Amino acid sequence: MNILSELNCFGTCFKLSSFAPFVALFVVISIALLAASLMLKRPKQRLITFVSAQVAVIVAIAATFYLMNCSYMLTFYLYLAYVVISTVLIFAVLRYYDRIMISRLDAKPAGSVMNWAQEFVDRLTSAKVYYFDSAVPKAFAAGRSIFVSIGLLELLNEDELKAVLAHEAWHIRNNSRTPYLKQLAIMTFSSSSESELEHMADCFAAGIAGREALSSARSKVDKVFI
Amino acid sequence: MVKLDQINISNNGLTKFFSPIEASILRTLWNDGEMTTSELTEKTKIPLTSVAGTLDRLVKAGYTARRMENVNGRVRYVYEPVFSEEEAATEITTKILDSLVDAFGPLARENFSKYSDKK
Repeated sequence: MNILSELNCFGTCFKLSSFAPFVALFVVISIALLAASLMLKRPKQRLITFVSAQVAVIVAIAATFYLMNCSYMLTFYLYLAYVVISTVLIFAVLRYYDRIMISRLDAKPAGSVMNWAQEFVDRLTSAKVYYFDSAVPKAFAAGRSIFVSIGLLELLNEDELKAVLAHEAWHIRNNSRTPYLKQLAIMTFSSSSESELEHMADCFAAGIAGREALSSARSKVDKVFI
Repeated sequence: MVKLDQINISNNGLTKFFSPIEASILRTLWNDGEMTTSELTEKTKIPLTSVAGTLDRLVKAGYTARRMENVNGRVRYVYEPVFSEEEAATEITTKILDSLVDAFGPLARENFSKYSDKK
């Protein structure tokens, strides 16, 4: 049977079955939840909506399985489509997450405030450096961009900033080599082996900017956060 | 206005209307004029941990303004109050009187005139 006759069969079963509205409902719910998980700002809410979206999809697929009296292949196709779409989505979001962050934080290229930063990062990896308006000292990498807050620029001297930038540059250099499950763990904000990754990034940063600069940057930022 | 929805009558001074950290930042800025983040942490004696987030909030709420300065390749914020103490006092008083009139109507107005007569 080809996929067209499968769909035809699905249409017939759909009309006859009392499960039909159920399936449609859960598909709609899962799409809404997935959209919500991308919009929400708090990691905890995102995680909850992301997991609920997955559960809703699984319920929809299970219901489809019960609904198909004549053929079970469509369930398989549906599942396959779900796997392909969600994988593409996860990688696309990880790759283009910096665009979202640039507009959300109203971030600007760091070249205008410290011209050396972009050149320094260019030597390590291909990534853009942005700064954003916040007094809280913070640095992070997303997609192919490094973000630093003005609070961090205030707090650290040039050597310490180099250590922080090298640390974030390592993350970007190794993003493509980070195994899929780790990517997923970062995406869903559960920290599986993040400390191991952080340690490796620190070793790299110490090699580039010197161990002293790294540890003084750490102690300054830790003083703020502990 | 930052926290004007929650007024704690039993608190002292500005902390009736603001959180303790917000109050001490505003007080320092009103007394000494514009200053950098490090000057603020020195004068208020509150660690950067607590001040940084609160400063972001005060700026977002429109109580303080900050500009970025670039001195010898080093970046820093300079903060200044958006309203003077008088302007803030006027706005807070008006809001509270409005809410009293909203709750008690003519009774509130009667008490206002009694209060000013007493003075």
